[in-house]
This record gives sequence, C-alpha cells and structure tokens, in this order.
Amino acid sequence: MSNRIVVDPITRIEGHLRIEAEIKDGKIVNAYSAGTMVRGIELILKGRDPRDAWAFTERVCGVCTTVHALASVRAVEDSLNIVVPPNAELIRNLMFATLYMQDHVVHFYHLHALDWVDVVSALKADPKKTSDLAQSISNWPKSSPKYFADVQKRLKSFVESGQLGIFANGYWGHNAYKLPPEANLMGTAHYLEALEWQKEIVKIHAIFGGKNPHPNYLVGGVPCSVNIEEANSLNAERLAYVGTLLDQAQEFINQVYIPDLLAVASFYKDWGAIGGGVSNYLAYGDLPMNGYADISKFKLPRGVILNRDLSKVHEVDGKNVDEIQEFVKHSWYEYAGGDEVAKHPWEGETKLKYTGPKPPYQYLNVDEKYSWLKTPRWKGHAMEVGPLSRMLVAYASGRQEVVEEINGVLKALDVPVGALFSTLGRTAARGVETKLVAVWAKEFYQQLLSNIKNGDSRMFVKDKWEPSSWPSEAKGVGLTEAPRGALAHWIVIKDKKIDNYQLVVPTTWNASPRDPSGQRSAYEAALIGTPISNPDQPLEILRTIHSFDPCLACAVHLYDEKGRYVHQINTF
Amino acid sequence: MSEKKETLVLGIGNYLMGDEGVGVHAIEVLLKENFPENVHLIDGGTGGFHLLSFFHDYDPLILIDATMDEEPVGTVRLIEPRFASDFPRTLSAHDIGLRDLIETAILSAPLPKIYLIVISIREIRSMVMDLSPEIAQTIPAIVQMVKKIVEKK
Repeated sequence: MSNRIVVDPITRIEGHLRIEAEIKDGKIVNAYSAGTMVRGIELILKGRDPRDAWAFTERVCGVCTTVHALASVRAVEDSLNIVVPPNAELIRNLMFATLYMQDHVVHFYHLHALDWVDVVSALKADPKKTSDLAQSISNWPKSSPKYFADVQKRLKSFVESGQLGIFANGYWGHNAYKLPPEANLMGTAHYLEALEWQKEIVKIHAIFGGKNPHPNYLVGGVPCSVNIEEANSLNAERLAYVGTLLDQAQEFINQVYIPDLLAVASFYKDWGAIGGGVSNYLAYGDLPMNGYADISKFKLPRGVILNRDLSKVHEVDGKNVDEIQEFVKHSWYEYAGGDEVAKHPWEGETKLKYTGPKPPYQYLNVDEKYSWLKTPRWKGHAMEVGPLSRMLVAYASGRQEVVEEINGVLKALDVPVGALFSTLGRTAARGVETKLVAVWAKEFYQQLLSNIKNGDSRMFVKDKWEPSSWPSEAKGVGLTEAPRGALAHWIVIKDKKIDNYQLVVPTTWNASPRDPSGQRSAYEAALIGTPISNPDQPLEILRTIHSFDPCLACAVHLYDEKGRYVHQINTF
Repeated sequence: MSEKKETLVLGIGNYLMGDEGVGVHAIEVLLKENFPENVHLIDGGTGGFHLLSFFHDYDPLILIDATMDEEPVGTVRLIEPRFASDFPRTLSAHDIGLRDLIETAILSAPLPKIYLIVISIREIRSMVMDLSPEIAQTIPAIVQMVKKIVEKK
C-alpha cells in the first residue's frame, strides 16, 4: 500500500506548482506535477502590433524577463526575414549572459542551496575552522575567522528574534542534511554575499536596455545608440563600466560559486544516482557568433539527445509541424479536435476548460485533467530542458570548452559520466554553464568594443519596420534558452496584426502532466525512485524539483491569493 | 553616493492581470506630476529579485501594490510596516513576491523607511490590461497619498 503526500506550493518562495507523490517502502513510486495557475498571455496578444509583443511577454515573469523579449523579437524578425546587425546580436548576447550569471547564482544560493545547506546548523560552526575550510577551496578574500564569526552573529540574532524570514520554511535538522556545521556556515555567508553581488551584475541590463527591471528590446536590433562622447548614449564610460561588472561577475563565479558547488556536491555524491528522469534532452541553443541563421556558430548548440546516448545529437526544427507539439489530454484546456490530438504551436489553441475539483480538496483527480500546463513533446518524446540539456548537447557535439569543463568537474568529484543524468548532474551543469558564460560574455564585450572602434555603430535595421513593407501573411518562430531551459515563441501575422501567438516555456516541458500515451514529463519521471526518509518533511522532493529551477510564473499565469483556482474567465 | 539617500516611489504589479497592475498604472500617472529632483519613480513591474537593490539604494521607499484582503474593494490604505510579517502577501505572478523580497532585503542591510500603499482589489482578471472602474477611481487618492508623504518628509 502506498502513501500519497502532497507538496503545494513547492517553490521556496511564492509559487504555483503542486506535486503529489506516492511513497512505498521509503521511495517514490509515482508522482504527479500540476501547475495551479492558469495561462493566457496568448489571448492578450491576439490582434496587437507584432512589434509590441516583446513588451507584453516580458511582463509575464519577474525571473526570466529578458529572454521572453528576446524570443518575441526573434519570432517577429523570423517571420519578416529581418537580419539584425552584428552589434545588436552582441548586445543581445551580453544581456543574455548577464541574465544567466545573475539567475544561476540566485538559483544556486537563494532557491536551491537551502535544500543542501542547513542554516540552523551553521550556528554550531567554529568560525576558525570555517575560515580554514574556505581558504582551502578558494582564494576569495572574505574568509577570515572574524568574518565568519560576524556572519554567525547576525544569523543568531535572526534566529533569536524569531524573524527567520526567508529561512523560515526550511526542514532544518533533517537527517538528509550531510554538511558539517562549518560548510553550512560558509554556505550561509555566501548566500548573503551573493545577494549583494547580484544587485550589481543586473546593472548591465539597464545600460543596454535603458532600464531594469523589464529592459527595452526592439524588433530589428537593439534600442541603444552608441556615441563614445555623448552622455546619454552608450558612451565610453558606460562601456567601461560594463567591462568592470563582467570582471567582478567572473571573479565571484570562479572564486565563490564554483568552489562552493564542488564542496557541497562532494558531500552529496549519492544524488548522482537519483533524479534522472526522462533520459531525453532538448536544447534550442543560443549565443550566435555569426548571425542567428548560422546555428553552427552558436556558443550553446542546438539539438536533442535520446535515451542518454551521447554519441548522437539529433537535429531540431522549430518550424516542422511534426516535431514540437502540445497535448491537452491532462490539461485544463480543450482542442477543437479533441483530447487525443497534438498541435504544433502555429496551429495552437488556448481555450480554458477547468474540470478539476472544487477547492479545498485533498487530491487531484489525476486520471482526468489535472494541470494548467499543456504537455509538449518532441517527435512524441518527453524531453528535459535546462542547463543539463544544454551542457549535454554541447558535450555530445564535441564542444571543446564544454567537454573540458564537464570532465574537470567529473574528475574533481570522482564520479562517472553517468552521474550527469541526475539531480546532482543538473545542479553541477548549471555551475559549469555559468563559468563558461562568464568567459563568453567577455568575448562578446571585446568584439563589441572592437566593432565600435572600427567605426561600426549599426544597432538597428529599419527597412522592414513599417508594416506597409510586410506581406499580408507571415509566420515565424523565435527560439532561445531561458536560464531554466528551451523557450520558444511562435507567431502568425495576418494583415499586420498578431493572428496567433503561442509560447512553449521551459517549465511547461519539465513540469507538464502525462501525455495521452501515459508518458511522464521530466518532473514526474525524475521523482520516481527518490528516497523519502520522512514523509512529513519531503526534503528530497524539493532537491530534485528545485534542481530543475522551476519557474511557474511564465508556465502558468493566474492564481488567487487564497489558493483558490481562478474561475472560468469570460472576458475574452 | 551622497550621504542622504533619495526617495523612490516604486509601483509593483503585473499589468497583464487587470487590477493587480494598479501599482504600475499609478506610476504612469505619477510620472506626469512635478516632483522634486530627489524623488524618483520606477515601474517595478514583476521585477522580483531585480528590485532588491532599490531597498538598499533609496530611503524612504514608497511602494504601491495591490492586495486581496478583507477590506472593501477600492480601499486605499497606507501601511508603515516594520517587519516582513507586516507586509500583505502580494499577488503578482512573479514568483518572488513583495514579502519574499523584504525578507531577503532584511538579511543584508537594515530596511529603509517604507511607506506601503495598498489597494484592495476584488479579483485578478486575466488578460485584461485596463483597470476596473472601481480601481481606476482610486488613482487620484494614491497620487495624493504619495504627494503627502513626499511633502511631509
């Protein structure tokens, strides 16, 4: 007899993801993942000017922001055959790299580390020994016994005041925490430092995008003009500041994030055999170095890996209507053609149909529809998306830098390649990727400076800006990679207006319900076999789900404060 | 950086979700008003962690956000919260809510003086970018409240 437990919400912070898991003999034998907020950005875009779509899509989420804008302008550019100037591509790459560095570090320290680091145990640490530990793994300057003693004092006052705040939801003292108190104190200190650090790096978004949050994008290029001497444009001073921020970012990543990641991982090597999941990996790739049309020059290559077979990378075509398709068999939507059919996003429909139980309820009826997420498939296969997929596709494609970094991590942890297909592998891949992105960002920056020096100040092409130059019908796709995985926007333009717009976001790939043939998506599959030592405190579920970096805001779009489902929406 | 920090008015919310976006709508109106140079206005949207630096760079902070509480719809209240637990749960679908943000900001530095203007809304309406009439008519009261805070400080 199995025992079903429910974790809702599952994000450490506010969230809209619910997991129901069945446990037998201390292990998960079955799992269901449900998005508890309805989606609908597609409906708000219909009939609007395609050139404005980025500004709406950027608003759906406070975490990914810029990548939605990027996918959107690319979809429009693709449909109208617009090729942006090299500088625009470089600045988009720099925006992309900035988001990755900020988001991956925030994910590691602020959304995931507390699954591995016991903050309360840090109170028992010896600051001197913590200092020795920190200095043995990195030459980061903030590592004196006094520094750690001060952090410990601050932490103590939080705990004593009862204002644990964001630390309040932890399963502190759980027997699955394996770090010694000193490692916990070091992790906690870096949690606080990372908070300070991430405020700086995002300033790059404001420099190139005019403002942050929600920086500006532009169909046909980027909305900044370069003039080395002019105060209000991209001038020498601002460009130099970007260079400084990139240096500081790389320093933090190499001296704090990566050493911490390896130190923490070395205590949790058993998680290299837990949380594997669907075994198929999809990456659209990004960071073009020779224009968006030349996929071979992407820093992050495109492709699919099936059944963990790293000897073959399959090609992906976002426009082939037989490749990427969405099902709604277990989702609260209906298709005109019924529940068994799959639709390519160009033909996608967004018609809500809530049939779930009336809250409050104990369990969802998982034999029927049970989520606000649709179920995407690639040629019928369930895919995992995210840093692990990107790194595996790059590794299997023989990208030297990636191969070296990954092999280096495997060697440092003394684990086999197979350990990549796991919860630990997902978390490690995110670190490897961050380190590489920090290197690449400087390359984009140098290239941009050199173009400007050589007199190329082109940032925008305007020949297709006027709708009068557009065909009466056009369609396109914008593929990119959000930090948490493959992201695409599909657009159909008719009579200069948006006729259909569909997003397939990373968390939809990973967190979706079963498809009509009963195949599990990534979260549901990854939980199978996960040990649960205490069903009242399912820390192990959080570890695996958080390793994917869930972001439900863009996967699903509406909820209500008291956890009630939003009723049928009849305003469209 | 100058010794005395400047004032920030920060509107928060998702303008894709009807009345939930009232904070952002209010900023758009406030931008047309004349404020002293040391008063800054920012549309924080669904900015999540991206908003964190504002809590350290400005003092005081005037936040404008929607809430669904027990008050009558259209009530505009001024709260002067001192602890994270004084903040109402925010509604925005940005995964990192206002309270999460405050709890996090407290970890690294003392909070600035915060004035929180909350507007009680009835429901979040998806895919609607306009405010409902009962919430739209609260905008002048919000503007007055902001002006009053700025003047008396």
